Amino acid sequence: MRRGVILFAALLALGLLALWAGGGFTALRLWALAGAREVQQQMAGAVRGIATGAPGALAGLLAVCFAYGFFHAAGPGHGKMLIGSYGMARRVSLIWLAALALVSSLAQATVAVVLLYALMVGLGWARTQIEGVTETVLAPVSHAMILGIGLWLVWRGVAHWRGQAHPHHDHHHSHGPDCGCGHAHGPTPEQVAQISGWRDAAALVAGIALRPCSGALFLLVLSWQMGIAAAGVAGVYAMGIGTATVTVAVAASAYFLREGAFEGLSGGRLARAVPMIEIAVGLVVAIVSAGLLTSAL
Amino acid sequence: MRAVALAIAISLPLPALAHPHVWIDTGVEVLFDAGGRAEALRITWVYDDFYSMVLVEERGLDADHDGNATAAETAALQGFDMNWDTGFSGDTYLLSGETPVPLGPPEDWTAKFEGGRLTSTHLRRIDPALPLEQPLRVQAYDPSFYNAYTIALPPTFTPALPQGCKAEVLAPDATAANEQLLAALAEYGADQDVEADFPAVGANFADELVVTCGAE
Repeated sequence: MRRGVILFAALLALGLLALWAGGGFTALRLWALAGAREVQQQMAGAVRGIATGAPGALAGLLAVCFAYGFFHAAGPGHGKMLIGSYGMARRVSLIWLAALALVSSLAQATVAVVLLYALMVGLGWARTQIEGVTETVLAPVSHAMILGIGLWLVWRGVAHWRGQAHPHHDHHHSHGPDCGCGHAHGPTPEQVAQISGWRDAAALVAGIALRPCSGALFLLVLSWQMGIAAAGVAGVYAMGIGTATVTVAVAASAYFLREGAFEGLSGGRLARAVPMIEIAVGLVVAIVSAGLLTSAL
Repeated sequence: MRAVALAIAISLPLPALAHPHVWIDTGVEVLFDAGGRAEALRITWVYDDFYSMVLVEERGLDADHDGNATAAETAALQGFDMNWDTGFSGDTYLLSGETPVPLGPPEDWTAKFEGGRLTSTHLRRIDPALPLEQPLRVQAYDPSFYNAYTIALPPTFTPALPQGCKAEVLAPDATAANEQLLAALAEYGADQDVEADFPAVGANFADELVVTCGAE
């Protein structure tokens, strides 16, 4: 039963990801763009409603902000790629992965609030200067952290591989009694996850959160200027929750896809697949983020 | 290996990380000289409601938040988006057939804030004036895709579209553009300058005004 459910969910996730990555990517991207544009129009009315004291304006603004976060996250972005890759490469629990996605989004909202109030209200910077700093300083730092996560995944994968190769030298052809169960080689994924969980989590959250969304900065500037700062901050967190709905969905897709793939593998094949996936996913993350980093510097 | 391939596929959109935060309805006016050559473009930008509000409020204008500027506020707005960094293309690209044609710096600009939307116009000279032997193409796009431009306003021609010419606004072919993007990404390596490569890709996602003369 459980196997059936996981396989079904994996197929579903596979289909969605294939749609996203393949031809459906354009359709989805255009749909997300159209949605983001529509929400952008409503945002101004929602903010104006609060400034002029219209009834129910705060609920309206929070709803629009939630939609704003959702549609912006539905387009291409670093958060999904990182959560998806990590969820694919590391055998972590669904709850942990989803929590990471949610915390990252809320941390990103917090970074926007702290950055804007410290620099604009505290130091008197202009919004465009703050956006400049996010692009020239925070984005490269974020890319560097993502690069680090990629390299770390590769390193873990290699260590994992060597760990399982160690007990018997003719690894590729050995089918001894302790080979084949898939759990006796090196540290178990659960052990690794426990040891490295908090360190991973901190790096992942920082890598995602460090780069605030321009839309959040817009809303914060606007609400500060119009004397409705608290509503603006609430709106930015609503954006974060909207973003999280997408990243949590990506986390779930990655989880079910990975577990589904692992269900189809047994014993030694599973044990060999785990480090290979870690290495491959880590390499992809590292290469792409290195490219982004060099182009951003 | 299927999972690996998928992980790679998920990561593919990453270099196209940017998604727009500003939407700009764009208008293009082509000004012709007596000989029917294009001598200037007047570009109109109508900013979306939200970004209009940000630009106006962060300047402390529209004190009553009614979405319209007073005469004094309108005066203060003039040139708000004309302080271009050196090397900024203005997000307007002129081509004669496939050949890029340089445009002069922005001049003779206007700005107004009405009905919650901020509108600006500016003139870009074409020097020397461009004969329409090849199709004249005006593309509106931001290579970094921070701004999303749509040629939403009907194109205008001053004094008039020359005899035997026709004009049409082409929306990007999303599928073809996406294939080109994927092809560009497939060739992309760590030693390449992504930004340098991107304008070409960005153009594929651009709205374009095409004026063709004497084709039939």
